[in-house]
Amino acid sequence: MELPLAITIALMFAAGTYMILRPNLIRIVLGFGLYSNAVNLLLIVCGGFGASRMAPFVDDPDAPGHVLASQLMDPLPPDIILTAIVISFATGALLLILCYRVFLDNGTDNPESLCDAPELGHHEEAPE
Amino acid sequence: MNILILPLLIPFFTAMVLALCNGWRTLEKAISLLSCLAQTAFVFWLLFHVDKHGIQVVGIGGWAAPFGIAFVADRLSCIMLCLSMTVGTVVLVYTFWTVTQLQQRFFFYPLFQIVLLGVNWSFLTGDLFNLFVAYEVMLIGSYGMMMVGASKSQVRQTMKYIAINIVGSSLFVVGTGLIYATVGTLNMADIAQRTAALAQPQAGLVTAVSMLLLTVFALKAAAFPVFFWLPDSYPIVPLGINGFYAGLLTKVGVYSLLRVFVMVFQQPGHELALDILLWMSGFTMFLGVMGAMCQWEIRRILSWHIISQVGYMVMGIGLAANAAIAKLAIAGTIFYVVHHIVVKSCLFLVGGIAERVNGSQKLKEMGGVLNLAPGVAGLFLVAAFSLAGMPPFSGFLAKFVLVRAGLSGGAYFIVFVSIATSFLTLYSMSKIWSYAFWSKEPREQAGKNYRGMMAPTAVLVAITVVLGLAAQPFLELANRAAEDVIDPTRYIQAVLPQESDSAVATKAHLRGLQGWDQTALVQPAGGAP
Repeated sequence: MELPLAITIALMFAAGTYMILRPNLIRIVLGFGLYSNAVNLLLIVCGGFGASRMAPFVDDPDAPGHVLASQLMDPLPPDIILTAIVISFATGALLLILCYRVFLDNGTDNPESLCDAPELGHHEEAPE
Repeated sequence: MNILILPLLIPFFTAMVLALCNGWRTLEKAISLLSCLAQTAFVFWLLFHVDKHGIQVVGIGGWAAPFGIAFVADRLSCIMLCLSMTVGTVVLVYTFWTVTQLQQRFFFYPLFQIVLLGVNWSFLTGDLFNLFVAYEVMLIGSYGMMMVGASKSQVRQTMKYIAINIVGSSLFVVGTGLIYATVGTLNMADIAQRTAALAQPQAGLVTAVSMLLLTVFALKAAAFPVFFWLPDSYPIVPLGINGFYAGLLTKVGVYSLLRVFVMVFQQPGHELALDILLWMSGFTMFLGVMGAMCQWEIRRILSWHIISQVGYMVMGIGLAANAAIAKLAIAGTIFYVVHHIVVKSCLFLVGGIAERVNGSQKLKEMGGVLNLAPGVAGLFLVAAFSLAGMPPFSGFLAKFVLVRAGLSGGAYFIVFVSIATSFLTLYSMSKIWSYAFWSKEPREQAGKNYRGMMAPTAVLVAITVVLGLAAQPFLELANRAAEDVIDPTRYIQAVLPQESDSAVATKAHLRGLQGWDQTALVQPAGGAP
């Protein structure tokens, strides 16, 4: 089960990188979404994963003597994922608002076309 | 010691109160100032307390360290907190003269407190994942402050800043997750303890994973291969607040490098990261100063100098690979961070005043600040000499300690690069001096409203003079802080409960609670988010 998941994660990272490198703000936001979900999948794998692992709840009265730590899924990575989801949700919302504002103000979502004429020159000539 | 989290709680609640006070402009300023003064007083008390009574720890919710989230204040954290609050308060007072109505309407002061919250949080946390959360809080605040009232080209640069940080944050979580998968904990003290006991195949794996974190922290600190975002984004940070960004935000990255790569990773072969850092530092300082030399705007010159100065701090961290000079090198790095945060913020603030006086920040449109505002010129001269490393000021001593560490460690080439770089720094500082301050004024004085901005700037100038003239107590403090960073034994003892009592008690407690067998216990895991 790890291999298909690893391939998925790799594809999501690749697609996310491609999207972030595009000159459209909305694609940057989508690339960010792909990135954060790829990271979450990766964290799932980190927590021990697969059919042989149980959820870390023991409600079977017969279970205590028989359940080994290696058979339980680690509960911490899902915790981390939860926090990461909250953070990426907040960042994503902020990014969407920014993109929308940029689009409303300028009628474009291509950041490269945002220039105010007088501030264009980065490398100015030396005086004299 | 529960009051340890006050440097997080105060800015958090201040931000909320300020958001409610939106519209009462004077009230907002008064509340921000009171809150910053309270925090400053607290962190200085904390520094004295920690220096006297040892490392202070608080486990949130009463959970003992490897299970719960720990906030840890050792000497290094306290020094960084004192810096962030001193510079934060000074910059806050400075912004009273620079903030526009538009900025204040769009939550400038609440966002300032949020950035302070993120910065303080990253210095106090004892947990790798919490460090990530602190970074995110800091970044979201900084996006907001950069975007308010931004022109089109500023929006373009901010978007680049955001995109690069998105990638950095994602890599940070990946690194954290992989560290957890290989070491089994996220608590810094616990990682230090466990990695020290690792044998070779696992140790190599941890070293490989730590390279991801190296990339992330180097990106944050703007070190050599990943510094390109800084000279484009810092010049567009609004006037006033740019002093805080320049001083503190990249130094959070330097602090993380210092904390994580010197103290936390102890596996055999962890020196590899430090060797890489030493190489990076040479390129960082040299390319940074080369970049500064070909710029013709004050803010751009100063931004490139941040990169060059980060090189010195990373050099100190890299020199720590040699155990014989590790203590001197780390003490030098800590002193350099103190010096740099003060002086860099100060230069940005003085640059802002010169910009106000001349109505421009482009060197070829500026001139005659020496005649128009001699006090400002004096402040700039002291700060610039200190940055370049001229003797009576703090920059000289900071560089002296690092150079001495390098020479006694036999790292002659990096020492040569660092000395060459400081000459070039002097050159580009004298360029600002001769074009903006010394030359004939191109027109009548544009702005007169700058006198209030001088008082906070003068405070920072005074600090760099004091750091230089009365360096002994500060160097000794840096030395004591360095001891704890190089040898994490005391940190581990303070954070982790001793196996004899608490850990056994916790296990027994869990067993009683859940009816679990001892074998059913999950591996003790590091801090939950």
